[in-house]
Amino acid sequence: MPISTTKPIKIGTLYSTTGVTALVERTQLQAIQFAIEEINAAGGVLGREFSLVSLDSASTPANYPGLAERLILEHGVRLIMGCYMSSTRKAVLPIAERHNTLLFYATPYEGFEYSRNVFYAGAAPNQNILPLASYMLSHYGTRVAMVGSDYVCPYESNRIMSELIGEHGGKKVQETYLPLEANLADFNTVAKQLKALNPDFIFSTVVGAGNAHLHRALSDVGLHSTNTPVASHMCNETDIASIGVHLAEGLITCASYFQSLGNAENQKVVAGYQARFGRHENTNVCWEAAYFQTHLIAKAIAISGSEDPTLLAQSLPGTYFDAPQGRVKIDEQNNHTYLLPRIGRCNSVGQFDVVASSSELVRADPFVVAHTAPLWTRAKHARIEGQEKRVGQ
Amino acid sequence: MIKPDITLSVLKDIRELSVVILHPQDQDCEEISAQLRRLGCNYQVIWPTLEILPSGTDLVLLAVRPETLSMKYPWLGQPSTPPLIPVVTFENPLTVTAVLQLDAFATIASPVRSAGLLTAIAVTLSQHRAKRMLERYLVRLEQKHSHVQLIERATQIVMASRGVDQPSAYKMMRSQAMAKRESIESIAREIVKANEVLTF
Repeated sequence: MPISTTKPIKIGTLYSTTGVTALVERTQLQAIQFAIEEINAAGGVLGREFSLVSLDSASTPANYPGLAERLILEHGVRLIMGCYMSSTRKAVLPIAERHNTLLFYATPYEGFEYSRNVFYAGAAPNQNILPLASYMLSHYGTRVAMVGSDYVCPYESNRIMSELIGEHGGKKVQETYLPLEANLADFNTVAKQLKALNPDFIFSTVVGAGNAHLHRALSDVGLHSTNTPVASHMCNETDIASIGVHLAEGLITCASYFQSLGNAENQKVVAGYQARFGRHENTNVCWEAAYFQTHLIAKAIAISGSEDPTLLAQSLPGTYFDAPQGRVKIDEQNNHTYLLPRIGRCNSVGQFDVVASSSELVRADPFVVAHTAPLWTRAKHARIEGQEKRVGQ
Repeated sequence: MIKPDITLSVLKDIRELSVVILHPQDQDCEEISAQLRRLGCNYQVIWPTLEILPSGTDLVLLAVRPETLSMKYPWLGQPSTPPLIPVVTFENPLTVTAVLQLDAFATIASPVRSAGLLTAIAVTLSQHRAKRMLERYLVRLEQKHSHVQLIERATQIVMASRGVDQPSAYKMMRSQAMAKRESIESIAREIVKANEVLTF
């Protein structure tokens, strides 16, 4: 066999193994490692193995352009998986476009982006914030307090929440943003204000290490999920483990994947992953997106017969995969992914119980300004047929 | 398309421009600075705060991104504010709303490319000048309109008090103005004032 066909297919990763968002990013990196081991164990793609080049981006947006160029220029990588906060993706996007490299982004984000060089496996707002906002407003009340980290995603999330509150005739009693590095004392101040305001629920867009501070502070002032639940689409099983299950129980989220999903595919993948990385390792929605996106890349390479970015950018749209959440599919027009949103409530062991679910895949609509709440999130319509169109395959 | 036979002065003036780049020092800022150097503009990069705009600033390139939404620049929205070109990162409803509030004529999208900046500057300067001229024209038009109303009222007063027709009344006022070396508006104003005094 000629050497050129046995060269490994290189995947570069830009995930933070240190810094404020390292906890979840580490699970994404491991998900990719795990998927690559699965692919290689099955004989690779086109008779070639996948190999991984991982650089630590240390949760610092300014690191990303240089690291992306190093992956491309020093390591010959043309397929990059990674980025977590939107600022880091925005930093890599021009590099990817300049060098005709593809970036695979596996984290929910605030929408309003398309690049022919970027593929988005995480939810757009219509696949997580919208159902969560609608579910909370119709099940818990319409006096809402918002607390978030000070960067782009929380602002757009709160814009959507604010509009839905308006439609429900409700009231936004607080909207506050804290720096990513905010400490417990900062959160204590906010928690005292929230206690006095007594909202029907708290919409949190706090990310990373701040989550533990927020829930500690809320507990200290006597705000508990039984009377004032916290809703956050930016909080998953890995965040819960860092918060502490006793503080996070009752938290409500919307995601297309939970570790607790009972289907056979998820049970199999989680068991294999924990056998490989340790039985206490949690999986989460970002982990799953990174996992299935690696498999989608492998499938698309098999279809196009090459890992050339131009050819892959043509073969990826429309490609589907039976992921742990169920079948997912890359949109033909916007490079985002059809996902299956579910509302989950954190239980006493730090896992999510599904309390409502879309019955069908939901198309990502990253450029929608005025959202329409899906029927399945409303109190009286919960668990009935969704209004989204069914996709093929 | 109209084929231009003259190069507009906004294009010729580009090398005389003093540009302020109010933008974090990142790749976009480097791209903008490099292109302004190629175009031959004078520029300075300032970030993040700018209480007072350097005097003689002709154009401001202003970063509009989520973290700038809460920033307050006291020199914005004044009659003397120079034209602005927003440099937009995160093209979402919040940033687009902020751009609309800036009254801009053109925008630059991130990631910034060298192409497009020259056109954006030319459109902005030309539209800004046109808007200024339109504003001045409106002020003059408003003045003229109030003068016409004043002369009309004075003419009516002269017609009634002297029993003459409208052209004769106007002629009498004009010869008064010439004799006193004043404008016809000030004669008209005196007549209206005198009439108000006499008819209390």
